[in-house]
Amino acid sequence: MSNYFNTLPLREQLNQLGVCDFMDSAEFLDGVNVLKGKKLVIVGCGAQGLNQGLNLRDSGLDVSYTLRAAAIEGKRDSWKNATDNNFTVGTYEELIPTADVVINLTPDKQHTAVVTAIMPLMKKGATLLYSHGFNIVEEGMQIRKDITVIMVAPKCPGSEVRAEYVRGFGVPTLIAVHPENDPEGKGLAQAKAYCVGTGGHRAGVLKSSFVAEVKSDLMGEQTILCGLLQTGSILSFDKMVEKGIDAGYASKLVQYGVEVITEALKHGGVTGMMDRLSNPAKIKAFEISEELKNIMRPLFQKHQDDIMSGEFSSTMMADWAAGDKNLLAWRAATGETAFEKTPAGDVKIAEQEYFDNYTLMVAFVRAGVELAFETMVQAGIKPESAYYESLHETPLIANTIARKKLFEMNRVISDTAEYGCYLFDQACKPLLADFMTKVDTDLVGKNFNEGKDGGVDNRTLIAINEALRTHEVEVIGTKLRKAMTAMKSIKTA
Amino acid sequence: MSQPVVHIANLNLKYQQKPVLQDLNWTINRYENWLLCGTSGSGKTSLAKAIAGVDHSYGNIKIEFNAQSNLPATVYYVANWFQFKDLEGQSNFYYQQRYNKQSTETTATVKAELESFGKKNALQFNEVDSILAALGFSELKHSTLIQLSSGEHKKLQLVKAIWLKPQLLILDLPYNGLDTLSRQNLNTLLEEISEAGTQLILISNDEELPSCLNRFAVIKEGQLVEISADERTGNEFDTLDQAVPAFLAEATVASSSAEIIKMIDVNVSYGDKRVLKNINWEVKAGEKWVLQGHNGSGKSTLLSLICGDHPQAYANNFHLFGNKRGSGESIWEIKERIGLISPELHWYFDPSATVFQSIMSGFYDSSGLFCDPGYSKKIQTDELVSYFGLDEYKNTLMNELPLGKQRLALLARTIVKNPELLILDEPCQGLDQQQTKHFNRLVDGLCKNGTTLIYVGHFESQLPACIEKRILLENGAVKSVENILENVENEASIENVENFEY
Ligand SMILES: NC(=O)c1ccc[n+]([C@@H]2O[C@H](COP(=O)([O-])OP(=O)(O)OC[C@H]3O[C@@H](n4cnc5c(N)ncnc54)[C@H](OP(=O)(O)O)[C@@H]3O)[C@@H](O)[C@H]2O)c1
Repeated sequence: MSNYFNTLPLREQLNQLGVCDFMDSAEFLDGVNVLKGKKLVIVGCGAQGLNQGLNLRDSGLDVSYTLRAAAIEGKRDSWKNATDNNFTVGTYEELIPTADVVINLTPDKQHTAVVTAIMPLMKKGATLLYSHGFNIVEEGMQIRKDITVIMVAPKCPGSEVRAEYVRGFGVPTLIAVHPENDPEGKGLAQAKAYCVGTGGHRAGVLKSSFVAEVKSDLMGEQTILCGLLQTGSILSFDKMVEKGIDAGYASKLVQYGVEVITEALKHGGVTGMMDRLSNPAKIKAFEISEELKNIMRPLFQKHQDDIMSGEFSSTMMADWAAGDKNLLAWRAATGETAFEKTPAGDVKIAEQEYFDNYTLMVAFVRAGVELAFETMVQAGIKPESAYYESLHETPLIANTIARKKLFEMNRVISDTAEYGCYLFDQACKPLLADFMTKVDTDLVGKNFNEGKDGGVDNRTLIAINEALRTHEVEVIGTKLRKAMTAMKSIKTA
Repeated sequence: MSQPVVHIANLNLKYQQKPVLQDLNWTINRYENWLLCGTSGSGKTSLAKAIAGVDHSYGNIKIEFNAQSNLPATVYYVANWFQFKDLEGQSNFYYQQRYNKQSTETTATVKAELESFGKKNALQFNEVDSILAALGFSELKHSTLIQLSSGEHKKLQLVKAIWLKPQLLILDLPYNGLDTLSRQNLNTLLEEISEAGTQLILISNDEELPSCLNRFAVIKEGQLVEISADERTGNEFDTLDQAVPAFLAEATVASSSAEIIKMIDVNVSYGDKRVLKNINWEVKAGEKWVLQGHNGSGKSTLLSLICGDHPQAYANNFHLFGNKRGSGESIWEIKERIGLISPELHWYFDPSATVFQSIMSGFYDSSGLFCDPGYSKKIQTDELVSYFGLDEYKNTLMNELPLGKQRLALLARTIVKNPELLILDEPCQGLDQQQTKHFNRLVDGLCKNGTTLIYVGHFESQLPACIEKRILLENGAVKSVENILENVENEASIENVENFEY
């Protein structure tokens, strides 16, 4: 097996990277009909497996689960998840041969082993569905030619996929058909129907490709989503302690601040987040985020280059082969940072205080979101895809930090994301060393507005507002968010 | 008489920018137990929270604790609404999540919760068991918090309050969702702790109250007005006397099937715990049912099966609207025919939607509105907004309204599509008596057109008149199914139900 993307001629590489079509809701009028009466068998019953399955069944589809024999015999959690919810569970041999659609929702690292085991059991003309394209694109998994290969990738954690469905909505979703495996031309219709079954069609669906999904997903998670949030959190905490701010307060500000700050992204994008600051703080945050962008741009570019060339995945797969030696060592090291080991203090921090006392993080987030987006677009990824993998997911990841700090974030994200996150973090900290020596507590730990009169130069402010609002991530974001929360735009007067 | 216990001088309070309390004065002396009643939205909850210092403390509220007393010198407030948190201190659970089993438990058990509460407040552990028993909570000790229904969460709060015996206890609508026996027992417990020295402020519009209450008041135009014991009835809200909006009254409701519900030996269990046992129940089109039973008897599980919210529906022999459940229908096709209100639905409803959007979302059975419903649906929604007296709040966000008003909006949402099956699970929680009466009259009006009704309510006097049949659950099984004779005196039937239940 070799990297699928690297086997393609340049023209085709660009072609696949550029697949990006924000689908009209009229494309989903056929509902789940294409899959009605078909047998859907999900492999794995973890976060995505269980919740996608619950939704599909509630949409009137026939869903069952297959698990490896050990999980069934050992009555492991995935077995319990499925049986407690009254799903049929069987071994590969029992269920795969009956399946019209096999949905592979096992961890990415296991995909080659799992697909190799189930493929011979799949009936002729069946469909294999993924929620992430790593196996096909980076590992170059070859699928039997009679099998249709599609992807339906919800851009949210599994529990969110369920929560949004039961409230009558859904989460934004990417769908794709693998051009090498669409023998009957039914791939797209099935992917659309599956997407309706999970509720994704109500929140905005992007027609993408396996290639575009993987290259943008890897880039986003390594840089802004996990990498920069980790680096920014650790540096901020260390700075506060160095400057004599109470460690409990610092720990709390960092742990929850990143969630509060990025929550503003959900509703109003980078502009909305920056608008939470006072005018002087906004100008300062803008200036330092420009500086941060300049410092970090080469690093973002290196990550994108390594992802495109396959360098990243081959390095990581070498670590898989070595029993995750690096991954485990880096994970342990993250568990030992001072931030991780200092419990959040028992202090009350009001919502606005998280902005006023943590201007530095606002600057980090703006710099990271814009850089990740710009770098992806320069590499041939379309703005819509780049938006989902940068700005859209940032608050979702920040939420995991609020729960239990970085250790929790790295536990929840995939091993692939975790590996990339550590790579980024290790390279980024030295890059920012000089910058950090200039940072004082007005940017992190204390209210930026304290002792300032609030006056600003009007023209500077107008220029900054303009620059923020017209950035391409904002332009595309406004359009996509409208689709996600159609309710917000409805005129009720 | 010594120092007053609570002394409030010229308190001004705003709720979401609007003044609710204006120069309010109130003195509570030792040995006094107050009832605070009156219309929803009058400021009862704001006042209670201010005294308890929930969000802020106020300089013009002075509380003098009794230094001689051995009861904790504290004000304890039991909110009418309670959000529990998981082990990580988060509280973002979602609607009906408790029915979706995911093995990794992230919330504490009731027992662990009580242990940590007891430890924190240095309480006697042998005292809690009798309180649990009195409120019918003993069986739930090993449940995790997420498994509890909203009524059960409320009870847990009450258990803690009574166990704690604070010097001042404020209870905000404590009877909501409690069954008859628990209400009686709660009153006895309150009388006991009042005897032991706890002073009460009780917010309620209910009729059966603990006998230790000795002062009564309402909030009128932002001020506290003392009333006599028998003056306490609700008022206002006459808008509901208007005719039912034409779009609801005229259309007869077409039933898609002569048989709305048919359950054959339906069972639901969680692990070894059987929650529903061999339920057999048929509901025919146009029938008006009341569903009753003690807290924990399985009512909400039964209803969640009907509403497409429970995964175990797929493992049972059970027909809805003429189709076997799990034969290829989607839950949205089921929900389309049902108008549902329940404490659970209210609890998890999207608080960031406006009143207008919330009502309109009833057309789509979603929590919050996600698409543009078009002109005629907006007109119909407008009619209901007026009908429920909500004009002034039309564009207000739900979370900026007091619970009673939120409830009215959700009731409008329930009926906006004039569904063929109405499921009203304690629809009038948080409303005053007058509002309840009005709403039930509306239900009677709607049901004339062929609507099928399932109504959950603990008190006979608070049921709509159109009810003809009763199903009674006890410990997960059907205890009885019976026709309710027409023209039975209210009195008689209250007794009847109490005999029945226990
Ligand atoms: N998490 C997200 O937010 C997210 C979002 C979009 C897409 N995805 C994608 O969804 C897929 C599943 O991710 P997830 O987060 O749901 O994974 P997960 O929670 O870790 O669940 C994995 C499931 O696969 C089973 N499994 C593990 N190793 C296996 C093996 N060797 N053979 C067979 N089954 C095995 C596990 O069961 P046992 O160990 O009990 O056997 C478990 O049921 C991945 O492709 C991921 O990229 C995830």
